[in-house]
Amino acid sequence: MTVTQVTRRTGEPPSSVLAVSTDGLTKRFGDRTVVDGVDLAIPRGSVCGFVGPNGAGKTTTIRMLLGLIRPTAGGGSILGGRLTDPASYLQKVGALIESPAFYPQLSGRDNLKALTRLGRIPAATIDPALERTGMTARAADKYRSYSLGMKQRLGIAAALLPSPELLILDEPTNGLDPGGIVEMRGLIRSFANDGITVLVSSHLISEIEQVCDHVVMIRGGRLVHQGPVAELAARQRPDIVIAPEHAADLGPLTRILEVAGLSVAASPAEGTAEGTAVVTASGATAADLNRLAARSGITLRQITERTHSLEELFFQLTGTDAAMSPGQEMGAIK
Amino acid sequence: MIGAAYLSEWVKLKRRTLLLSTFLGLAAAASLFVVLIFSNAPAHGNGGLPSLQQLARPNGLVFGLTRATFLLGVVAFGTAAAQTASEYSLGTLRQLLVRQPRRVTLLAGKMLAVVTFMMAATAFAAIVAFLVANAMAQSRGVSTSAWFTGTGFGDLLNALGNIELAVIGYTILGLVIGQFLRSAVAAVIVGFAWLLVIEQFILTRIVPSAAPWLPGISLSTIAGGGNSDFGITYSHGLLVAVVYIVVAIVAASITFARRDVTA
Repeated sequence: MTVTQVTRRTGEPPSSVLAVSTDGLTKRFGDRTVVDGVDLAIPRGSVCGFVGPNGAGKTTTIRMLLGLIRPTAGGGSILGGRLTDPASYLQKVGALIESPAFYPQLSGRDNLKALTRLGRIPAATIDPALERTGMTARAADKYRSYSLGMKQRLGIAAALLPSPELLILDEPTNGLDPGGIVEMRGLIRSFANDGITVLVSSHLISEIEQVCDHVVMIRGGRLVHQGPVAELAARQRPDIVIAPEHAADLGPLTRILEVAGLSVAASPAEGTAEGTAVVTASGATAADLNRLAARSGITLRQITERTHSLEELFFQLTGTDAAMSPGQEMGAIK
Repeated sequence: MIGAAYLSEWVKLKRRTLLLSTFLGLAAAASLFVVLIFSNAPAHGNGGLPSLQQLARPNGLVFGLTRATFLLGVVAFGTAAAQTASEYSLGTLRQLLVRQPRRVTLLAGKMLAVVTFMMAATAFAAIVAFLVANAMAQSRGVSTSAWFTGTGFGDLLNALGNIELAVIGYTILGLVIGQFLRSAVAAVIVGFAWLLVIEQFILTRIVPSAAPWLPGISLSTIAGGGNSDFGITYSHGLLVAVVYIVVAIVAASITFARRDVTA
């Protein structure tokens, strides 16, 4: 499948409804292009997953959005402010960038106090932020005594201090145990319920899939795809797994389907159970397949639609190793 | 804006470990010099250490503290360098810049806060050193009546002002070197090597006449109210030090404003 870009197309939401909009955002370090002409269009109020393998350019893009790194080329708008003038929008933005970074000798509360003073944010925002992230009981303890999960939650609390309209979370589940990941997912959903636009980056697509309604896919510094998750899923033709009643019919059934112009992978092909065949992304319906089999006197004992995971779609869109097993993190691709 | 950055920095500066180590460390260093000077002072002048007679003069109270200035400066330099460099090594700079994207404002607030902190620590060290000087004067039978005259107080304020100026210089240079090198250890090594070794090497091996133009010697000239060893006047030392500090602040501001934050 060809790489798609959906930005700047007809029917795209106007910039007033976009929380983040960039135009040809590019960053080069010497001869190395880390982010290459990325056009982002992230709607306000969405929970947007920003996915790509390690080294894809996610963190560099996020740092450019936060004014930490100066773009080599391109520009954009965030919450109506110009990307080249971070002071015009950062007071409405909360961010957790990579691993949380605080002063180890200060308590969690004092770390937040330093940030509220710097940003001229009312100190009264500290307690609600601590409470929301479940850090109230440990707020007086020194940051260095926190577990990784607590550090991550304090990072989220810091991001919440300015009562943000846009929350940028860079790999928020890094280093968390399964319980912590579920907790983080719940937190992200709760932000969306409050109407906060959330941009959450991860190299774990399965994580993004469970919490996001919009997705931006990036690879090698280039935008691969962006749009609503539902739209992406709807564009995909599901595979159909079929199994004849008698295993001996599998060969003839496969040939019948191929003659009909369908792409078929019979077991023991990857992803198929013994005695089954998978008709891949053909556009044929279950009824079509059932009819073809019945005409040849073959009875089917199973006809099941199999939708693609976001992870599989990513590999289809990038034309990379589609054989990678579902659930394997993209970070494994080097 | 700068006020917000200043107040934010103080949340970090007033943490107990830093506060105690800096204030008590400087007080101990200054007191040590006072004790050494009083305990080793000969009855009459012999050209080296001040004599008991000299210590009884109106400016006798400030002898120890003036001689401790270099040590105070070295501590100020190291502490200040750590304050800027650690923002990079801890990764906290990115948090700060999200909350205050105007970088020069952030840097200015931080510099003001650290300079104020070091000035307060120096003032505290001076008070402790003066108390110790009084106690040592009693033990060595030095009359302190001249210290508490108008001339004595004038000398005291003058010396304290000069020492504070020198400490401000050391602090700003420390902040700037820490900002450039982004590593507290590297900044302290480079700073100490310059002040303790390189300047001496330049003077003894390369250009002996360079003394009036070196930053460390200029700062010690300010602290001492002039430098009789190299024949440098106070005003010359002050001018050279101010030029170094202004250039350092401008260079640090430009690089800080333009540098990508990848830490």
